[in-house]
Amino acid sequence: MSEAHVTMGAHSAPPMEAPPFAIPSKKLAMWLFIMADVMTFAACVAAYAFTRNATPDWPRPFHSVTSVGIMTFIMIASSATMLIAFRAAKTGDKAGAFRWMMITAALGFIFTLLHIRDWLNMMSQGVGLLQNPWGTAAFGAAFYSITGFSLLHISVGTIALAVVAIRYQGGRYNADDIEIVNLFWQFVGLVWLFIVPVVYLMNLAR
Amino acid sequence: MATTETHGIGKYVAVYVCLLVVVALQFFIGYQNIEGPRLVVRMLTFAVIETILVVFYLMNLSSEKRNFFQFVAFFMLFVLACMNYVWTDSFRLLLFRLTGFGPS
Repeated sequence: MSEAHVTMGAHSAPPMEAPPFAIPSKKLAMWLFIMADVMTFAACVAAYAFTRNATPDWPRPFHSVTSVGIMTFIMIASSATMLIAFRAAKTGDKAGAFRWMMITAALGFIFTLLHIRDWLNMMSQGVGLLQNPWGTAAFGAAFYSITGFSLLHISVGTIALAVVAIRYQGGRYNADDIEIVNLFWQFVGLVWLFIVPVVYLMNLAR
Repeated sequence: MATTETHGIGKYVAVYVCLLVVVALQFFIGYQNIEGPRLVVRMLTFAVIETILVVFYLMNLSSEKRNFFQFVAFFMLFVLACMNYVWTDSFRLLLFRLTGFGPS
């Protein structure tokens, strides 16, 4: 065995390289995931913009956006409750953090139900991926793909919130893990704030 | 400690109220009779304000280390600039369609 080998073996653990930007690796991974997701959503919105403006008979089916307004309010409220949960976790208030995270998950669940109701309403009016009663067929595909991608994120986020809250309560996760879920949840809320004007408010019936 | 905590909560409440106001303005503008690029520019301007509020304060980017803050902020501004460019550029297609000129 060489001398170098013996010297290395004498240490119990090799020296760890400092994480980039001197922030925890899990947090950096979540930020990088969010940045990748931002590009995906931006590409969807760009494709939607060109399709919408290049198509002569783009439909404007939304007569009222009351339901979307309620959904938006729920999403913003859930951002606030998530932030309260994170602050409670940082101060060591375990019960408070758990309670506020579960409230956030409940709001996310209500949002998901309202979103599915909105989809069922569109389907009952004959809007499918490849057809709709008002104009170009591309509308349905664009509507379902953009809102569906957002819905997927929100439903996965809701499940993640509940799982992290339960594990935090059980002592397996700590405040750092709640911070990571907070990042994801604030991000999905922000994405919804882009979808509302682009998909709904710009397509209000005149 | 209590004063700092109250100050911190006050900041978040202010950000939250601003966010609600900006979203309410978006809905208000949506119901106005504004068309085309003017509507898009207004909507995206409000969306950019919302992004800054959420990323800097609710996602706590403003309290991160300076080099990481710059890394994310430059990326975010680049994506927002690209989105604004693409949306406004897409109206070129609308103009081609309406005037009948443009690439065949």
